[in-house]
Amino acid sequence: MPAPLTSEMLEANRARSAAERAAIDASCRGPVLAFAVSAVFWLLMGSVLALIASIKLHSPYFLTGSAELTFGRVRMAHLQAVGIGWASLATVAAALWQMCRLSRAELIYPKILYLACALWNVGTLLAVFGIIFGDGQSVEWLDAPRYAPPFFIAALGIVVAWVVAVFRRRREPHVYVTQWYILGAVFWFPWMYLVTVFMIFWAPATGVVQPIVNWWFGHNTLGLWFTPVAVGTAYYLIPKIIGRPIHSYYLSIIGFWALALFYSWAGMHHLIGGPIPGWLASASTVGSMMMLIPVLAVAINHHMTMRGHFHRLRYSPALRFTVFGAIAYTAVSVQGSFEALKDFSEVAHFTHYTVAHAHLGAYGFVTMIYFGLFYYMIPRLTGREWASPLLIRVHFWCAAVGITVYFVALSIGGWWQGRMMNNPDVPFGKIVTYLLPYLFTRSVAGVLLTVGHLAFAVSFIMNLAGWGKRRSGGPTFFVEPGG
Amino acid sequence: MDRGMVIFLGALLTFSSSWLGLVLFPFWQLGGEKPYQKDETDDPYPVPLQGLALAGQKVYQNNGCMYCHTQQVRSERFGNWWDANGEQRTGADIRRSYGQRRTVSRDYIYDNPTMLGTMRTGPDLANIGVRNPSAPWHHTHLLNPRSANAWSIMPSFAFFYTREKVVGSRSDKALSLGREWTVNPGYRWKPSAKEWDALLAAQGPALAAQVGLDPASAEGKKQLLDYWLTTPEEDYQVVPNADGDALVAYLLALRKAEVPLPEAKE
Repeated sequence: MPAPLTSEMLEANRARSAAERAAIDASCRGPVLAFAVSAVFWLLMGSVLALIASIKLHSPYFLTGSAELTFGRVRMAHLQAVGIGWASLATVAAALWQMCRLSRAELIYPKILYLACALWNVGTLLAVFGIIFGDGQSVEWLDAPRYAPPFFIAALGIVVAWVVAVFRRRREPHVYVTQWYILGAVFWFPWMYLVTVFMIFWAPATGVVQPIVNWWFGHNTLGLWFTPVAVGTAYYLIPKIIGRPIHSYYLSIIGFWALALFYSWAGMHHLIGGPIPGWLASASTVGSMMMLIPVLAVAINHHMTMRGHFHRLRYSPALRFTVFGAIAYTAVSVQGSFEALKDFSEVAHFTHYTVAHAHLGAYGFVTMIYFGLFYYMIPRLTGREWASPLLIRVHFWCAAVGITVYFVALSIGGWWQGRMMNNPDVPFGKIVTYLLPYLFTRSVAGVLLTVGHLAFAVSFIMNLAGWGKRRSGGPTFFVEPGG
Repeated sequence: MDRGMVIFLGALLTFSSSWLGLVLFPFWQLGGEKPYQKDETDDPYPVPLQGLALAGQKVYQNNGCMYCHTQQVRSERFGNWWDANGEQRTGADIRRSYGQRRTVSRDYIYDNPTMLGTMRTGPDLANIGVRNPSAPWHHTHLLNPRSANAWSIMPSFAFFYTREKVVGSRSDKALSLGREWTVNPGYRWKPSAKEWDALLAAQGPALAAQVGLDPASAEGKKQLLDYWLTTPEEDYQVVPNADGDALVAYLLALRKAEVPLPEAKE
């Protein structure tokens, strides 16, 4: 901001910006809230399915006798509910709102987006209940029955068109790092989804080409759909909340392009040791190790931005969730790079260690950042502050302790599971018995996470119902900058 | 980076590289693989699934079996452990009899969907049709895995079975399991103390005479119960339904990594 502005001019600028932001938020209000509410609904559904699946793994007689609730089906339905339901819908909400905010452009024709939201929900409903009633496809991440993808494709088409349209109508000449990530994500995801649905379902490729395409998609869903939008969200929220610009523009450029190039090559590490050409696994091991570059670039950038402001974690719920997520991003990515090494994969592959890793990524990182975003974004859309700090506190601690317990328990159990499976002198039954306490601990963690989600949902419903105090307009922070 | 075109072109180029490298190139490299025949007289391997086994593949798929069972055997280079003499050895998958060799892409050319799996909550099934070719065993195991292995955490697949009254003679397909597994399929059943007393009053002496136990003593009563639970039900039988038959046919047809292939040396 140029120096010679008088205080009255500054004041006028502030008021104008505040009015502009309010107008943008008003244009987003309906559709973004629709996506957010649906996301939270599927988060709850996914939590219930997760608990059922988890309990069944240590207590096999739990809900036995029902084909609909057999482990395999519930496991598939859980992934659809949280992956295609919760995380993807939250990604869309995040992409739409932040793109409008950062482009300084209103959402046009917002009503069409209700259609996209409805299509997405119908698709997810068909996916989850289709699987429960016996149409699961056993293609990891793509278990939805064949009648569901057309709904996702149509919904995705609308969302992508709207994000790009908002970007093209931008009034702000500078394109912020979050916008790069969102543009990348909305470009990559439809591409990989269409290719994969085509090559696995519509014109099935031969033999192992299917799992190859499957893991190219599965890994990129996390890497080039959730990750860019979630990392972009951290790039947006951290400076916004603490009131200072991002540490280094150049680091953010390195982080973005290195992610775009290397993440897309990492997927085949899910098939190390499998019946695929050796060069494919090697290429992905290289891609996975190179991921250290963008991850460390983002980690340094976020850390340096936060430096001197960590005390604000005490006050700001949005910041606390976001910073937890950003730290988990670094942790899970560094772990993931090493898991792609042959000697590491040899033990960790086929075990609960990988399950722990996946949840640290999808929950500790992506979900926690989206919680942070929701705590920041929802009041700006509804015009109401959160009614109960206690509920937010319950949510945070249940989520943080839950995912930590989950991760630690399954990582330890999974590691020894892998070591024992690699020793043919250890009978299989001994491994199964050894894992029981770890699997039970995972269920306890699952209960904690679910309690947190309930607290979050109650908070959200109270906010929508107008229980919080009214926001007084203008740019408000949980803690005023400099205060 | 304030220009949309730069971001678009960069995103296009970076992602194209992986699309070409990880998807299209393998598609081209592996898409045309043919079955293997050592010479004209040799049977081709692999062969497509047919009939009941093909229907069973769908049952396996729709119930998410692959989320606990892989169908891939890792090579001799994978899976290392220290044996009793403190020597490091490798090749755990093959030592566990998951296959005679590693699996390679050609093993899967007729699989659709190709369910390699990523998780071994249960053992690998690539060659289960060779490792355990007994259909009756698979049926009793599917009805309630605890009937075969007390430690098992596998779900009971009782919904692939029907418990019905025996009309005329017992069906050939009836599972030969004690009544503890068949009275309430999917669970392990035991009569309540009252039911057991009533039963003993009615047929205790005859039963006791069969095995030479004394139902009057507490110990004898308990042993008699344990024995009685392992005997089959007289009037009822449990038989597989169409899904159960199909699934077992599919399991028995899983015979990967048993025929040698020239490309699977290690």
